[in-house]
Amino acid sequence: MTILFTENDLIRYVYGETSELENSEIENAVLCDSELSEKLDDLKSIYYDLNHLIVSPSERAMSDIFKNSVLL
Amino acid sequence: MNNFGVSDSNLVSHYKSGNEEAFEELVSRHKSRVFTTIYLIVKDKYVAEDLLQDTFIKVVKTIKSGRYNEEGKFLPWILRIAHNLAIDYFRKEKRYPTIVMEDGSKVFNTLEFAEDSIETLQIKSDTNALLKKLVQELPETQKEVLIMRHYMQMSFQDIAEATDVSINTALGRMRYALINLRKKMQNSTIAYDNTFYRK
Repeated sequence: MTILFTENDLIRYVYGETSELENSEIENAVLCDSELSEKLDDLKSIYYDLNHLIVSPSERAMSDIFKNSVLL
Repeated sequence: MNNFGVSDSNLVSHYKSGNEEAFEELVSRHKSRVFTTIYLIVKDKYVAEDLLQDTFIKVVKTIKSGRYNEEGKFLPWILRIAHNLAIDYFRKEKRYPTIVMEDGSKVFNTLEFAEDSIETLQIKSDTNALLKKLVQELPETQKEVLIMRHYMQMSFQDIAEATDVSINTALGRMRYALINLRKKMQNSTIAYDNTFYRK
């Protein structure tokens, strides 16, 4: 039986919004479909890059926030 | 006070009782995610820092006045406040645009660009710097979904409701955003490699 997944399903999978059954179906499909596997790898790769895209505020901004908390 | 392993909810309770350390721990835990969410919308470090302060002022006032809803989760709540403030700012900026220079940059952003260029010189191959730029270049609808899902951790269903589109549209926008980013990241890496290894 061939199970077809849309790219939207892969997005839901990467973001942990698929059911356990869908997870297992997608993981099995990836094993025997190199194109699907490549698409999933691409999505995972950018997902991990985005996880590392974190910008931090300056120490001055943090200090002002703590001061405000005491004053308010 | 050792805050390791203490839940956000407990920290809020301690803060309500006057423990400022609890507030510092809450801020330290979530400052980067909140700041990144704001920064990716307003694209300006200094404006983002002002809005981060406004966000925490709202948080402090709400908690201290006893209006904080214990049932809700702290992080999604504060991210919603931050997002709303950033969007309000963004809309005002659209209505009252700031002076734009010949190269398309905002006068107000000049300092930030200078800072970025030093950073870029130091770490030219830095994936983060490139990705930050590429995220900011995404079409607004794609960037909105990306920020809501990736940084605000809203579900696609919640995003669909918040942006008044179908869940498939929200998913489609996210798909285009991720695929665009991936392609541009690959192209930029290849272009960068070519300049290095050109014969």
